[in-house]
Amino acid sequence: MHKARHLNVSGILINGAALVLVLSYALPYMYLLMTSIKPAADVQQIPPSFFPAVLSFENFREVLRSSTLPKAFVNSLTVAVLTTALSLAVAVPAAYVATQYRRRITTLFLLFALVTRMVPSVSLGVPLFQLLKSLGLLDTVPGLVLAHTSAAVPLALLLMSAFFEGMPRELEEAARMDGCTRFQAFRKIVLPVMTGGIAVTALFTFITSWNEFLYALLLTSEATKTAPIVIAEYNSVYGLAWGAMTAAAVLYSLPVIVVTLALQKQIVGGLTFGAVKG
Amino acid sequence: MSGEDRFVLCMLAPAVAILGLLVAYPVGLLIFDSFFKVDTITPNIREWVGLQNYVDALTSKRVAESALRTVQYSVFALFFEFTFGFCAALLFSAMAGESRWHRTIFALPLMVPPIVAGLLWRFLLVGNIGILNYGLVRLGLIDDPNEIAWLSSEDIVIYSVSFADIWLTTSFVALVSYAGLTNIPKDLLEAARIDGANALKRFWHVTLPLMRPVIAVVVIVRGVDAAKTFDLIWIQTQGGPRHASEVFSMNIYQRMVRFGDLGEASASGALFLIVMMLLAALAYWKIWRPVHA
Repeated sequence: MHKARHLNVSGILINGAALVLVLSYALPYMYLLMTSIKPAADVQQIPPSFFPAVLSFENFREVLRSSTLPKAFVNSLTVAVLTTALSLAVAVPAAYVATQYRRRITTLFLLFALVTRMVPSVSLGVPLFQLLKSLGLLDTVPGLVLAHTSAAVPLALLLMSAFFEGMPRELEEAARMDGCTRFQAFRKIVLPVMTGGIAVTALFTFITSWNEFLYALLLTSEATKTAPIVIAEYNSVYGLAWGAMTAAAVLYSLPVIVVTLALQKQIVGGLTFGAVKG
Repeated sequence: MSGEDRFVLCMLAPAVAILGLLVAYPVGLLIFDSFFKVDTITPNIREWVGLQNYVDALTSKRVAESALRTVQYSVFALFFEFTFGFCAALLFSAMAGESRWHRTIFALPLMVPPIVAGLLWRFLLVGNIGILNYGLVRLGLIDDPNEIAWLSSEDIVIYSVSFADIWLTTSFVALVSYAGLTNIPKDLLEAARIDGANALKRFWHVTLPLMRPVIAVVVIVRGVDAAKTFDLIWIQTQGGPRHASEVFSMNIYQRMVRFGDLGEASASGALFLIVMMLLAALAYWKIWRPVHA
């Protein structure tokens, strides 16, 4: 009797604490959403209010009517899709042999990929600027794709290695027994089994490119500015255009949040997997 | 060479080529440039200066200050991320099956782009309209909403800009720790309970030692990430006021872009790289090897 009540009290305490914690972490983003749907003038009222007094999509209309943001979204999307495709094309086969055909060179290679993840982007950004300049790829989509790929490939390698480690070796052996070559076994048997892992890795490489800021700042100017650069420019170009900025930030971040929440179960698995094993 | 070896090389080659072109070659270029005086503003100046760029970087007060700030920022951010994240993981695992929704909502900041997190926190902290101070007044913690100038006071700005980092990555710590906690065998904790260990003792003598590898991963991964931070701080303060929030990566960027001093920026970049490599080596010895041994 006494024990049951004790459990109950601590249960309530734990639930209460968890609720407070979760709410306090959700509040800032809620405030961003609330601010974006206020009339532009109300955004900077003193004192500020959490909820909008009047609902208005004025901020969204303003940023969508501007010439820069829609174009930046197209740039961001193009670069992210191409980066994802290129990174997966090179990282999936490499991660496969690195885990299934383990030998000295593959271990060294994975170690190199791990070490690459520690390279500060600013250290790489300085010489990448020169490299792209000499190739005539500054301020072009292929140039930025290459820069983003340098960050996305190591991530994709480590994630895919973690997924391949969980794959039974017998799968390939059975396919080989049936007369497949190693390439055929990989293409026809292994890849279809790994679609879940590949999808999670694709999402992570996409987000890496979509969120990337420093390379875009260094390597693009007018033609291929991505969304985060344009959003950051609301800071200076438009003075303190907080209303437009919050609307642009919502448009930029909400799609990714919705997609990730929809796939949450797979993603959390992939993420913790990659972190613990990588 | 056996057919198997050929297959391994064919599968590995594209990734090796990409990483060679986009990582190894640029790193080589970085180190090469660090021995030259290179000016990007007035082109065609390229003069061998030996280790002068390194000497300049290591003796510059502004570089030393930005390095110190990087440590301040990383330690402060990591401490709170870890404390909040680990507590959240403990709460979630104590709730067992009931924590699904909590974890889903808690994971939300994880998907927010850093640039948005930075803007959002700037908006929360900024003078006059920053809602955080009005909230603190409401809670009775301060008297006047202008009492704390989070982003414009040189003394505290390096800590204020880390709030966004803490908000953004606590959930990463929480999710990884939660995965670690759920892997702890229940019968171990049960055995300790039967032996008369109270909750605190069970935590200290069973949970914490078993969580050691997970804690090590989180601390190293997050520590390195925090030390590399650029965008999150840039969007909040651009390193200001008066360089008071200029971290090391930003110092390199400034010398490269604003002063066009490619040589010195390269030397600092190389030094930064070496420090991060040492941390990576630490990660390798402490974490990667035991897993594969």
